[in-house]
Amino acid sequence: MTTAKSSKVVPQFHRLTFAQRVIRDWKLNKWKYILILPVLVYLALFCYKPMYGLIIAFKNYKPTRGIERSAWMDPWYGWFERFFTDPYFGRLIGNTFIISLLTIVFGFPAPILLALLLNEIKNSKFKRTVQTITYMPYFISMVVTCALIRVYCQQDGLISDLVTAFGGTRQNWLMNSAYYRTIYIISEIWQTIGWNSIIYLAALSSIDQDQYEAARIDGANRFQQVIHITLPGLLPTIIILFILRMGRILSVGYEKTLLLYNSNTYDVADIISTYTYRLSFSGGTPQYSYSTAIGLFNTIVNVVFLLATNFISSRVSDNSLF
Amino acid sequence: MKKILALVLALVMVLAATSAFAADLLPAGDTYPLNSDKTVTWYSQDCLNPHEKYATWQESPFHTNLAKLLGVNIEWSFPTTGADGSSFTNTMLADPSSLPNIMKGYFMDSANMLLEDEVIWDLTPYIQEYAPAYYAWLQTNPAYDRAMKTDDGRYYAFGFFREDGGWNDSYLGVVVRQDWLQECGLELPKTISELENVIRVFHDKYGAQFTFPNDARFRQAGIQGAFGAYATGYVASDYGWFVKDGKVNFGAIQPEWREYMKWMAKMWKEGLIDQDSFSLDDTSIKSKTETGKVGVSYTSMGQLNLWNKDMGGDYWVGAHFPTADDGSISSQFGGFGIGTHTTVITKTADEETMKLCLRMLDYAYTQEGFLFWNYGIEGESWEMNPETGLPKWTALVADDHDNDPMTKYNGATWGNSCIQATNLLYLKNSPVAIAANDAFFYTFGKDEYFADPEVEAKTLAVTGGWKWPVGITFTTEESDKLDLLGGNSNLNTYVAENYAAFITGSKDINDDAVWEAYLAGFENLNLNKILEVRQGALDRYEAR
Repeated sequence: MTTAKSSKVVPQFHRLTFAQRVIRDWKLNKWKYILILPVLVYLALFCYKPMYGLIIAFKNYKPTRGIERSAWMDPWYGWFERFFTDPYFGRLIGNTFIISLLTIVFGFPAPILLALLLNEIKNSKFKRTVQTITYMPYFISMVVTCALIRVYCQQDGLISDLVTAFGGTRQNWLMNSAYYRTIYIISEIWQTIGWNSIIYLAALSSIDQDQYEAARIDGANRFQQVIHITLPGLLPTIIILFILRMGRILSVGYEKTLLLYNSNTYDVADIISTYTYRLSFSGGTPQYSYSTAIGLFNTIVNVVFLLATNFISSRVSDNSLF
Repeated sequence: MKKILALVLALVMVLAATSAFAADLLPAGDTYPLNSDKTVTWYSQDCLNPHEKYATWQESPFHTNLAKLLGVNIEWSFPTTGADGSSFTNTMLADPSSLPNIMKGYFMDSANMLLEDEVIWDLTPYIQEYAPAYYAWLQTNPAYDRAMKTDDGRYYAFGFFREDGGWNDSYLGVVVRQDWLQECGLELPKTISELENVIRVFHDKYGAQFTFPNDARFRQAGIQGAFGAYATGYVASDYGWFVKDGKVNFGAIQPEWREYMKWMAKMWKEGLIDQDSFSLDDTSIKSKTETGKVGVSYTSMGQLNLWNKDMGGDYWVGAHFPTADDGSISSQFGGFGIGTHTTVITKTADEETMKLCLRMLDYAYTQEGFLFWNYGIEGESWEMNPETGLPKWTALVADDHDNDPMTKYNGATWGNSCIQATNLLYLKNSPVAIAANDAFFYTFGKDEYFADPEVEAKTLAVTGGWKWPVGITFTTEESDKLDLLGGNSNLNTYVAENYAAFITGSKDINDDAVWEAYLAGFENLNLNKILEVRQGALDRYEAR
């Protein structure tokens, strides 16, 4: 009945002129549009308007001259050329990719596993306690967390104590390029595992309980239930989050690196964001145009990765962002 | 005859003693208050913020008193709390039509552009008439005058000067545990061998090492002077460059610097340097120094003060910058007593207001203004000490237990458009901190410094004489070129990284091939081109 009605309406709708259709749509959905208006204003003001500032990547921006009056760069790709020919370009891109990829490889599955494990716990008190403890580190300030890590890694710190107990020698672990990434990734997982598992736990609770019952009747054990019901149920969430994560592949934040690295570990730790940080804040006048050019390059690479992951995902599974 | 001679001599000595007090040399400021009904807006980046106890400047005695003494309404503004000062100033500059009339920031690098774009006033035609005290002050020292104008001789700013001419610019150096020295029967080290010996003895006896916050302190200042080297491994800003015979050069490529690195590498290899030094900062080192794990360190007089305070005694003392074993030293941490702070008058002030601003700023360089900026109002926050003939705090400041209570009443504690009194630093710091600063600065002895002009000249040459001068201005084209060449940032990364590798031995500094490869690396970083640009700017500065 309903399908018959709608198929009748649609051709009619298409015979109307554009103006008539707009008026008709407005009458039908007026309140929805008014409701969404603040969001649109927000997006326009805070997401689209600032994009105008990107043109300083092609200008020689001077604060006193403002965006309008600053001269255009000659050639227009001057700052990009400067970045691509920088002696540290290769190392920066490499380090950023490696840190990001390692974080994805080890850091992405970790909260999924935690959520699956938590999901199997039947004692709700214990479950809540574990949950709280695991997501607490997320709320500690990055500065404090990194100060802790630095103290643990000292010559006479906790890790050295443990290592000497097993016959190793004392050293400052953050001084050694070979251990830097390991420390970075492990602490990253420790910081974010609980927080990131929340969204999976939410997704888990929406899986239909009847399916488990049916599986149990069919004789599936707990592990088989996880493999055949829980994981497939989580898959859309996992894929969406994965695509979004790939869209940030070159955006490794500067705070943590800045707090953990030192001149001994630049070769593995220095990333694009710390490089631009030093451009701006370690003496001399900040190079706004150059930093913007690097940021723009960063964004383009990120978008390419986002689209590629999305494309592959939509081909392989049916899940995709758009 | 003898009596008269003695009398004259005594008089000369008294005069010499008091003339160290800059206020007596400054012209009187008897034309104040100015009784103007104008309101002048005044912005100050990084210093002059009202004391933390006051929510606004309206409550702050210094800010309100200054307006009263000048006889002009002042509306103050500062960067938002927590904001990065430079970024805040830069954001303001993006709208030149609504700038405050007076602005304090760091404008030396951009002075030429600001004048070209008519953002700030060229003060040259007005300075002698409307800021006579300041002008007279600049003429007392050619270095002051040179620092405060552009290459083509235009005055554009009021600067910050230290009365002592550099003493407090040497606020960092080697510090040692005094009680351990006594226990071991050792003297304060003076030469590099003596320093090495102290570190060794402390290591054997107490298991202590040479521990220092590398990035925050040691790399910026170092002890390379004992090896005949100049400049440091810290190239960000201007520490890495040195000037000798009118030529600018780069410190970290000199053979003497390599000798310095060899010594550090040797110390590291023998386990005499704390491995944690590379990741320590001023906060984290305290847990080590206070628990008796460190006997020799490297820090500022202010930090030394804190360490002693927390340990409850004068355990830590400052030592001299180590010299070579023959007593020679090429360079050490220091400066010229001229700050990079600059206060400018913007074009939002019309000509009349600009003249008023000049007179307001001039006040700090008069006798009365000097006293007010350093100590506040006489009878309120300070009084004359009849014994020394110098100001001292009244109970209002002396009994106030807030942090740096004097900053409620004065404006010269850190830096602004004024002359900082040495006595203010003496009043502000503990005796052991002052003794430490004495040790850092008077490398050839304090008494000798005042008795022998040759020693004074030698000291000044070692502390500030080799440095890239304050007040050099790059043209707009030059700064653009430096930006494109990679500037200080890439050089700093390269040097910092290799400095660490040389010390820790991951690159063998004793291997000539390693050293050659390191030098060759500077080719990619455009070092020679950067040196060329800098030489040009230096030549123009020298010709001012």
